[in-house]
Amino acid sequence: MAGPHPPAHPHSVSGSSPSWAGRRIGIGAALGRVSIVLAFAFGSLALGAGYWQVVEAPNLSRAPNDAAVIAAARNVLRGEIFDRDGNPLAWNARDANGEPYRVYASNSLSGVIGYSSRQFGAAGLEAAWNAELSGVVSADPLRDMIRKFQVDPSDPQSLRTTLVLHLQDAAIEALGRNRGAVVMLDPRNGEVLALASSPTFNASAVANPTTSAQTFDRLRTDDRAPLLPRATRGLYVPGSVFKIVTSIAALGSGAVGPQTTYADQPESEETGWLIDGFRVRDGHHAATGAQPVAFAEAIEASCNIWFAETGVRTGGDALAEWAARLGFGAAIPFDLPTVVSQVTNGDGPLGGGFSDRVELANAAYGQAETLTSPLQMALVAATVANDGVLMRPHLVLEATGKSGVATINPSVIQQVVASGVANEIGAAMRLAVSGQIGQVFTAGANLRGLAVAGKSGTAELDSGEAPHSWFIGFAPVEDPQVAIAVLIERSGGGNVKASPIAGDLLRAWRDWADG
Amino acid sequence: MDAAVIAIWVLRLIFLAMLYAFLWMVVRALVRDLRAAAREPTVELGRLVVVASPSGEPAPGLAFALDAITSLGRDVNNSIVVEDDFVSATHAALTYRGRAWYVEDLGSTNGTFVNGSQVDGLAPIAFGDEIQIGQVRLRLERART
Amino acid sequence: MTAAPAGRGLRAVGRETRRFRAIPHVRGRELGLLTLVSVALYVGSVSLGATQRFRAQLRTGEPGPVDLTTPSDLGLLAIYLGALFAVHAALVMTGRRTDQILLPTVGLLGGIGLLLMQRLPQDLAGSLGGLAQTQLVWLLIGLATVAVLAIAVRSDIWLRRYKYTWAAVGVGLLLLTFVFGRDVNGARLTLSIGPLSGQPSELLKVILVVFLAGYLSENRPLLVEESTKVGPLRLPPLPYLAPMVAMWAIALGIVIVQRDLGAALLFFAVFLLLLYVSTARISFVVLGLGAFILGAGLLYFLFDHVRTRIDIWIDPFVDPSGAGYQVIQALHAFARGGLIGTGLGNGLPSIGGRPPIPALHTDFPFAALGEELGLVGILAILGLYLVLVQRGLRIASAAQDEFRAILAAGLSLVIGVQAFIIAAGNLKMIPLTGITLPFVSYGGSSLLANAVIVGLLIGLSERARDPLPPPRQVGRLRRILDRGAA
Repeated sequence: MAGPHPPAHPHSVSGSSPSWAGRRIGIGAALGRVSIVLAFAFGSLALGAGYWQVVEAPNLSRAPNDAAVIAAARNVLRGEIFDRDGNPLAWNARDANGEPYRVYASNSLSGVIGYSSRQFGAAGLEAAWNAELSGVVSADPLRDMIRKFQVDPSDPQSLRTTLVLHLQDAAIEALGRNRGAVVMLDPRNGEVLALASSPTFNASAVANPTTSAQTFDRLRTDDRAPLLPRATRGLYVPGSVFKIVTSIAALGSGAVGPQTTYADQPESEETGWLIDGFRVRDGHHAATGAQPVAFAEAIEASCNIWFAETGVRTGGDALAEWAARLGFGAAIPFDLPTVVSQVTNGDGPLGGGFSDRVELANAAYGQAETLTSPLQMALVAATVANDGVLMRPHLVLEATGKSGVATINPSVIQQVVASGVANEIGAAMRLAVSGQIGQVFTAGANLRGLAVAGKSGTAELDSGEAPHSWFIGFAPVEDPQVAIAVLIERSGGGNVKASPIAGDLLRAWRDWADG
Repeated sequence: MDAAVIAIWVLRLIFLAMLYAFLWMVVRALVRDLRAAAREPTVELGRLVVVASPSGEPAPGLAFALDAITSLGRDVNNSIVVEDDFVSATHAALTYRGRAWYVEDLGSTNGTFVNGSQVDGLAPIAFGDEIQIGQVRLRLERART
Repeated sequence: MTAAPAGRGLRAVGRETRRFRAIPHVRGRELGLLTLVSVALYVGSVSLGATQRFRAQLRTGEPGPVDLTTPSDLGLLAIYLGALFAVHAALVMTGRRTDQILLPTVGLLGGIGLLLMQRLPQDLAGSLGGLAQTQLVWLLIGLATVAVLAIAVRSDIWLRRYKYTWAAVGVGLLLLTFVFGRDVNGARLTLSIGPLSGQPSELLKVILVVFLAGYLSENRPLLVEESTKVGPLRLPPLPYLAPMVAMWAIALGIVIVQRDLGAALLFFAVFLLLLYVSTARISFVVLGLGAFILGAGLLYFLFDHVRTRIDIWIDPFVDPSGAGYQVIQALHAFARGGLIGTGLGNGLPSIGGRPPIPALHTDFPFAALGEELGLVGILAILGLYLVLVQRGLRIASAAQDEFRAILAAGLSLVIGVQAFIIAAGNLKMIPLTGITLPFVSYGGSSLLANAVIVGLLIGLSERARDPLPPPRQVGRLRRILDRGAA
């Protein structure tokens, strides 16, 4: 150094500060603080590691792009899938190189079981339960921890589903060449007996490595959209079947009672009911005559005016809230991915998101912006059937692996509405199927020897195309064991109705249940 | 389960345990060092301030904390390293005994001076006195608490 | 007596100060820790070997018992442990009272790295006969460097005095890499001179720490006391602001030209920390952080590669098979590890014969260890780094003067902050950068640079309170002391 340094305050390494500023600390203390900061920094690393290795680990280990999952998928013999009676739905075959590929029992399963292909991944139940089927995850979570220590850790499990192959086939056969969906489930426990989407596709052809590429290409470009699982992911205008939802909201909230009538209803049927400058028309029934109808008759005759007035009286908030209890407004908790059904688009100023009372009135009988999936409407029917208790729908009964059997138990979502109200609605639905007026709309659903309750719907479309045809219901009325929803898109182009299809399928169910 | 699988499992656990055993020993040593450092009195017995240092090593104005025995010289093992051509490897020592300071010349080539007078062997020194070794002058001062 | 004339009449003392007095001194703590390290590495090696043999047997389907007691590569392990003990012996023989914890900690980390390299496919890299063997060679060179520096470095004068020279060397190296460097994997980090290639940025960080230590310790009084007032703000004193802005500019330059975000981040973080250590003024750190955010923002909008890195940090699924692939696969590796890992040799399922994460041996050893050793193992490894840094900071606080303190602090922080950056990047807590995990990652330059750091730390850690060299007149002093004590 050249020249004397200007004299500085005397100081030393670990000493204290010069007297004038008590705030300045010496190097020793500064080092102490830095070492504490560093300790905290490494502590945060420990927390980060803990997050990924413990908290998020189960989700990540099941993801399809996880290397272990991919490796397992390539080498491990996938678990088989059976229906509830033990009929095989999906199993493995070996190709020329000895590598396994999937084979499916029937095309009718394509909307629910899906496919598992080496090239195109998985869809449907094959995708949802991929980790268990390919053995990356054990049936028993405790064994999962121990399993890791074994050098051959894969435990592919076979699934016993809630489905009935016979009913599934019957549903597809009943749908025929029409586009649509059928959902049949047991309202007491949420077990799905059939989940059919039409048109179907040949899942075995997709899974077979020799045919998969061409098949998949064709399917992807097919404008009938066979790859879309309509039962869970199709959104349709519900039409009159939505009146059940309105009933639950109106009677459940107490806005109306079962005896409520509207004095202006009979004459409004001729002129239309005027609300805020809009006329609600009712094209269906002249048969009820000049008497105002109460609830049960309104259901039987599918009276739009009664429901429009009821909807306005119930209010948008209540309608949206009760619909939400049934599962509207959110994805339905289910094994397969589901679409969100809605009561309205939701950005309006009126309570519940309706833009005005006109929309509310129209939504009350299932038009305006209401959109539902067949599964959602089946759950509505199941709730009414089950004394107002909504059960979580599920597809799998048990998963069996090397380490044991894991059983999936029924679970309650919630008590949507009081059982008295549910029974009231159920009785009205029985009337809609068996009553003289009702039979006009639900022809084909009234079976001899099986008391069916239900509601039909014809959903008008803005585009002027043929309306959707709906039927939801349950049977037997005295002790409901099956709930059903049938949807035919655009009435099949002709005048195909959902009600007779439902009747056929309920008959098939009775034969299976009895047999 | 296979016996081999169990054995491998045990080996893995032992390896992880050994890592922690090492960490434990090291942390213990660190804590012990910290305690030892804390136990030592940080009360300074005195300070030595550099008054003049033509070579610049140590820098003028620098102050050194003094222990009971502080050595000065050119050798890097000294408590205070003085880089001056006229300073011997081990030049002098400052000691504190019985609440008094002493400076001792450790057989240096050019001698140690206190306030200008050469020190022969051991000599007492008080606060404010200036020590000269080689061309470097240092002043003994009270401790700053 | 007359006053001694300054300058005249004095005889210049010869260069006798470099007398090397080597009295062997037992280093018991180091020996004990090294023994523990050896046992740990032996068990780890046996575990790896047993797992590998077991899996091989499962694959081929051969019956019969599996050899569970031989380590996976006894020769490798023996050579490495031998080198560790050789360094220990050298330190014992030269008898300096230096730190005894650093060498075993570094030895354990290096050993874990070696185990990892043994476990990975040997053809990933390595020109000297495979991944593990090349790593071993570099480890040996590193250990030798540690030994040489620990023994020979006694004074920091050569570092302190020539700090501007060091700075010049550093900047020169940087410029050389800017201009002549090779692009490898999108980052211009490698400098090739003939057959040798290395990453000068690794050594650069050491050099710049040396420079910073010298600069900060020299200007400490002014930095601590003075400020430039700009309105209500108190900035660092203006004349000294310029070099700090230069630091910031260098960091930006590294990012822009070399595309090495990790080195820039490391450099700037260490700079800020050292600034705080030497001045204890939070305002400087806050200012630095502000400059960092400003710079980062600028870089994000101006440069694609920075934008990509930050985008995939926020959401790697934006580009799951491209840029985000590495990050996602690393997280999957951690998830597969779980609490106690899959076991050395048992994890990392290969896809198509290759490990699931690319650059596993350089950028993602932390993730690989996370998978195979689990959360328990990861915590231990983080603990090792923390211990290393804390020891270094302790050496810094026990230092006799400021330069040595800041230097030791800076060197320890380089290791600590580097480990933090790469570990956090692997865990997606900060954007991923391409720097190495000290002592564990594969890479000669990195090992060498970190070995230099550790060697310097050990060398400079000699305790200040050595017993006095025996004075010429022994009896006199003792008599005086005895008299004084009475």
